[in-house]
Amino acid sequence: MEIAPGAVQDETRQHVEEEALAALVSQYASTLYRVAFSVLRNPSDAEDAVQEAFLRVVRHRGGLDEIRDHRVWLIRIVWNIVLDRKRRAKTRPETDDVEELARVLPANGLSAEQHAAAAQHHAHVLRCVDRLPDKEREVLMLSAFEELSSVEIAFALGITESSVRSRLFRARNLMAELLDHARSLR
Amino acid sequence: MNNNLKPATMGGDAEETLRLIARLPAPEGLEDRVHAAVRKAPQSARVLPWPASPRWMHGAIARGAAAAAIVCVVAGGGWAVYSRVQPLTVPRVIAMPRVAPGGGFSSANAMRTPTTLNGPTLTHPVASPKRAKKRAAHKQGSSTVRVTPATRQ
Repeated sequence: MEIAPGAVQDETRQHVEEEALAALVSQYASTLYRVAFSVLRNPSDAEDAVQEAFLRVVRHRGGLDEIRDHRVWLIRIVWNIVLDRKRRAKTRPETDDVEELARVLPANGLSAEQHAAAAQHHAHVLRCVDRLPDKEREVLMLSAFEELSSVEIAFALGITESSVRSRLFRARNLMAELLDHARSLR
Repeated sequence: MNNNLKPATMGGDAEETLRLIARLPAPEGLEDRVHAAVRKAPQSARVLPWPASPRWMHGAIARGAAAAAIVCVVAGGGWAVYSRVQPLTVPRVIAMPRVAPGGGFSSANAMRTPTTLNGPTLTHPVASPKRAKKRAAHKQGSSTVRVTPATRQ
């Protein structure tokens, strides 16, 4: 039987796409996980979000060549997914998540007492972050990722770079106010 | 935190917390699990190869021409059916049945009417038994008075 050249082309293209997708997974899965985890604060939810993001990429893998920066594009996808999930799960109390996350954060070289105090402090900071308006909180959380510039944050959120800067400015001021207020109450 | 976005007023402690979260390592085996999920995902739609087809059919132009031919055949068939079957014209005026000049039923514009048989004809008049009884009763009981609701009053 003669093998059709069109079929060979299809198979070759499919193979190339699969390889490109595998390379994306290897390169950016952990970055996407950290972004997802910073919002969802749950390991299994974050992993689900990463998988969902790559499944969306599978659906549009034909146009992977047209994307300039895959990293920021993937972050944008996963960011939309986690925000959607967060909105849907808003009925769940977040206090448990904060306590759990504060306990998970690394505390190298600290005694047990210091570790407990650090966890308490982290939980307090996270509660203040949760009290920020959505727009300011999103920019503040993404700015904590060292690998993301303001331009990349702007692309991920679908806003301008100047908006990123102004929102970040407001977020920091609000955070400072919230932390000062908490200190004065103590 | 990146150089473009250095914190100005927010406390360094708060910044440290967010940075710690951003640096948390991904769980082990994450990539493998994502790879597996991607492999299980349904493949995107593509043109199925036809092993018995001639070589020239694999070209995009040939496929396009074949698709156009199919569209032409379907559209032509539809037009042929449409042009042959004309829509039913509805008359604007409703024709009422004519009433026969002597009254009674009309023929309702029937093209043919069946010939009816002639019925039996009476040679002499026959009084009905009811009428005979009534006459007899009238003659005998002329003195009796009929009581009607009007006479009661």
